Amino acid sequence: MKIRSGGEYQSGPLAWLLIIAASCLVLFLFQKILWLVMPFLLALIVYYCCLPLKLRLVLSGFSHDGAATLVSTGVGVLAVLAMLLAFPWVTTETANWQHAATRYLDGGVGFLIATLEQLERRFSILANAGVSEEVARQIAAFNAHFVRDYLPGAAMTLAAWAPSLLLAPFIAFFMLRDGWRFKKFVSRAVPNAFFERTLFLLDQVDRTARLYFVGLIQLTVLDAVCLAAGLWLLGVSAPLLLGLLTAVLAWVPYVGSIAGCLLVVLVAATDFPGQPQVAYGAIALFLGVRLLDDFVFMPLTVGKSLNIHPLLTVLMIFIGGAVAGVPGLMLVLPVLGVAMVFGETIGMVITDPRLRARHAYAKRLMEKMVAADLPAKEQM
Amino acid sequence: MFRFLRDDTSTTTTRLAESPLFAGLSTGELKTVEGMMHLRRYLAGEVVFDQGEEGQALYVVVSGTVAICHPGALEQPIAELGPGSHFGELALLDDAPRSAQARAGADCELAVFFRGDFERLLESHARIASRIALQLARILGQRLRTRVSQ
Repeated sequence: MKIRSGGEYQSGPLAWLLIIAASCLVLFLFQKILWLVMPFLLALIVYYCCLPLKLRLVLSGFSHDGAATLVSTGVGVLAVLAMLLAFPWVTTETANWQHAATRYLDGGVGFLIATLEQLERRFSILANAGVSEEVARQIAAFNAHFVRDYLPGAAMTLAAWAPSLLLAPFIAFFMLRDGWRFKKFVSRAVPNAFFERTLFLLDQVDRTARLYFVGLIQLTVLDAVCLAAGLWLLGVSAPLLLGLLTAVLAWVPYVGSIAGCLLVVLVAATDFPGQPQVAYGAIALFLGVRLLDDFVFMPLTVGKSLNIHPLLTVLMIFIGGAVAGVPGLMLVLPVLGVAMVFGETIGMVITDPRLRARHAYAKRLMEKMVAADLPAKEQM
Repeated sequence: MFRFLRDDTSTTTTRLAESPLFAGLSTGELKTVEGMMHLRRYLAGEVVFDQGEEGQALYVVVSGTVAICHPGALEQPIAELGPGSHFGELALLDDAPRSAQARAGADCELAVFFRGDFERLLESHARIASRIALQLARILGQRLRTRVSQ
């Protein structure tokens, strides 16, 4: 006699709707506790980076606690040393950075005004409206009041976020030290009948998270290489650094992309003040790489690592943005990946009659054991 | 609170050391493997896995006994396994269907080692994983020779 469990489970349309709805709900809630989500994500990256080192120490005879403490202390000391070493250099270079920033900003403003004046020469409606003069006036006003109107707000936001970001190393340490115990603790809550299948699928969550971060790094490298190659062909200075900075900024979809584009244009306009076509070329290059990123690279790297259909990947990015803004754009794919595995696990377990029967039998055995010395109802 | 963060696993290490599959591993290596295992308690008669079910994990008996049998034939088991024995080892290789049913012969405690964790061990600790794989190959070879000689 061969006992067959239910056939291979595949999520239906209802399950998928629930998975997407659950992802949106989680994103909405995440937006409310973003101060905790961001340090948690940073901690997760640190955790995945430090885990191999901790495992090496465990293999060489250290306890899990000892290995986690040693790795965390080592990383902490290295970070503090790096900051201490960088501090004198940063203080001496700050003046140069300020000078360079002013030079690039002036270059960018000059490019914008020159473009607008060129447009005014072609379109009289713009010339009559005095667009270039108005824009120049508003930029001058913005510059004059920037320190008074915006700097305190930005400093306050930074001050409010800094303590929560300090949570990241703290969380990473406990992930390193107790992560494996926590996994076992959670697995104990799963009844024996469902254990093997559930644990297999929950293992996929861990794998998904790791693959997502690997996909993100691949995406960054692809973006950086494409942008650097294009900028090098255009003759813009420091193409590799610019490409890398822009690719890292693109971790925040849309907002990061706009900041990256501005950066590239500022540098191109300053490097070639009399040649606006170089800045236009940089914009065209940037748009091209962004399109490649959103519709080819991202579905092929991050989307592929999560095993999500490319169309759904793109749609979910838009839905994530609509539900939770910028954080939604950043978090939608990992959240969807995890929700997908949970949805499939629950679907697989509750639709298998054999597993349910085994669980019911185990419960009956337990009841029989705990009531072994108690008289049956009819004997009372 | 947070008692789950403390785990006494010395009995499991002893049982793992007794299992031929983990023979030759040092205490540190056994601790690494043990860190990846899950401890489960089963009541006498409870099904551990079914014949035909997709295999995902290897089991090591820490205490009690486990009967390997055909479904519905618990009284005539194919094999009865005690502490230190292992079963379901083919699941470390692929997710092929289980060839028999495993049920707790008496109340027992089992250490469960998932294929996913074994694959991770191959990436992070290739030496330990290759030793386990070599032992597994030896056990399977021995079993094959016995079957052929019968």
